[in-house]
Amino acid sequence: MKLIQKPWLWSWVAAAAAFALTVALTEGRGAGELAYAALSFGAFAAIVGLGQMLVITLGPGNVDLSIPATMTLSGTLALKAMGSDPGTAWMGLGVAILVGLGTGLANFALIYLLRLPPIIATLAASLLYQSLAIWSNRGLRIKPPAGLADFATGRTMGIPNVALVGLGLSLLIWVLLERSVWGRWLLASGQNLRAARLAGVPVEAVRAATYVAVTVFAAIAGYLLASFSGGAALNMGAEYLLMSIAVVVIGGTSIAGGMSNVPGVWGASLFMFLVVSMLNSYGAGAGVRMVLTGLIIIGIVIAASTRRVAR
Amino acid sequence: MTKTQMLLGAAGLAMIAGGAMADTSGKRIALSNNYAGNSWRQAMLQTFEEVGAQAVEAGVVGAADAYTTSENQATEQAAQLQNMILQGYDAIILNAASPTALNGAVEEACNAGVTVVSFDGIVTAPCAWRIAVDFKAMGKEQVEYLATRLPEGGNLLEIRGLAGVFVDDEIHAGIEEGVAENSQFEIVGSVHGDWAQDVAQKAVAGVLPSLPDVVGVVTQGGDGYGAAQAFKAAGRDTPLIVLGNRQDEMQWWADQRDANGYETLSLSIAPGVASLAFWVAQQILDGAEVPKDLTVPFLKVTQDTLDEALETTPEGSVANTVYSLDDAKAVISGAM
Repeated sequence: MKLIQKPWLWSWVAAAAAFALTVALTEGRGAGELAYAALSFGAFAAIVGLGQMLVITLGPGNVDLSIPATMTLSGTLALKAMGSDPGTAWMGLGVAILVGLGTGLANFALIYLLRLPPIIATLAASLLYQSLAIWSNRGLRIKPPAGLADFATGRTMGIPNVALVGLGLSLLIWVLLERSVWGRWLLASGQNLRAARLAGVPVEAVRAATYVAVTVFAAIAGYLLASFSGGAALNMGAEYLLMSIAVVVIGGTSIAGGMSNVPGVWGASLFMFLVVSMLNSYGAGAGVRMVLTGLIIIGIVIAASTRRVAR
Repeated sequence: MTKTQMLLGAAGLAMIAGGAMADTSGKRIALSNNYAGNSWRQAMLQTFEEVGAQAVEAGVVGAADAYTTSENQATEQAAQLQNMILQGYDAIILNAASPTALNGAVEEACNAGVTVVSFDGIVTAPCAWRIAVDFKAMGKEQVEYLATRLPEGGNLLEIRGLAGVFVDDEIHAGIEEGVAENSQFEIVGSVHGDWAQDVAQKAVAGVLPSLPDVVGVVTQGGDGYGAAQAFKAAGRDTPLIVLGNRQDEMQWWADQRDANGYETLSLSIAPGVASLAFWVAQQILDGAEVPKDLTVPFLKVTQDTLDEALETTPEGSVANTVYSLDDAKAVISGAM
């Protein structure tokens, strides 16, 4: 496949264009600063986006709407468990991952046992998780331990640590998808569930693993975001509901399922941050900004999908 | 004894017991709240529950129950109001999802004889009472404060709230008015922080590289700490950031003050306004004459009151004032 036919190309082109336009405004000043900020904030969107990508790959109707609530619950419980005490960062991460496992299993139980459509099951379950987060801490912000906060806001060799974590997770997903049997099973299930089942793919196990993976990723993102921004807030996950779906679609992953795209998720995550920065820098009002963001997203999706049809 | 006789007897007893005023000990008050997902709303609910429970125990009212909708939708809250009418509440205090979309349900409540007192998120229905903060003045005061601290002026960054919400427009209008009167200031950048630290941090980090030197940041509350973090991450000097009474903001302020003598101002609406609405509703049920539009002052924390405010604010919460019955009477007589 030629470079121009790669579905992830368009999100990267768009991200680069938004970056160039913003930097043009300042005549090159602040380019490094902007790239650093984009990598930091893009990492959170990329981590939740990777999880959402796996679920969307499962085929039509598969989506996880419990991502914001899972992020809030994991951030809240992890920071409460750590209680700002030094040396508890790994324990906190453990709590976050347990929260992710728990919500993922609960989501899949609703989908599998009660045969609820995933949209309904995850949305309904998310109300429960959000209530648990409210009930457990009544919205009080607990500071992360100093060492963890320094790690989350720090950098290694000029790259934000959260971006390195995100890259590590992306690499893991990429290897699983491209090089493992599980990845083949996931793609086969997404392309045709019935055919995959008849071919001997354990489709329910694949679905279960996918629904658990997405919430574990969301939980890790929630844990990192809470550490990054100085504490968990009850509304901290809110913007990641649409964001997680947008980065998957812009990144060139097929919304019909059966085709994943890891690099595209990153390009789209950087783009989503850069486009807002660009429009803010040019002084666009909220209305103009939302309209333009919407139009640009539609444009990229059209560009990416016509490539695929022409192939 | 027939039912009519019983009622007459009860009415007679009530007249003897209540004196000139009507008795509210049997009255039931409900709180209709549209959102619970941040620390301000949690503090608001907590204040209402405490004040309500005390009032019920003291026999001032029969019941004080709080209800919150899950999706922050006007349609959902309208249905909630209709349920409250059916449940026979005597008064509803209301933090509304929309200033206009709930008017139909509010009118229904009024027609059913229910007293409706809206606060914070007010409704425009003429039959309801409104307890509002002068958000415009809150925006203007920020610029006026900056003018006293930075007489030579300079560039400002404005952090706005949630786009399309009444409160955001009002505070923004106040800030614009302040800047128009103090022409030494210029707003060089404006971002939406959605009243959340992490969103504000992200938005400010994105716009900072393209901004010239910024001397002051005007905010709407819940976003000051995030802005400070973004300035720090970008390696810029911390400008004068007006804060919004959140505990983490005030803690950061105190730390900065101890380290380098940082001075600023913090102002926001106190979540305890729910308790004021509660007492106003009680007064209306009691037969008091109450004007339809009441104004509640915003809660200000200054350099002098910072330590005191930090001491009384639970970690991670919002600076608060609980209003008493006497405060409510003072607000009512002030508006007469």
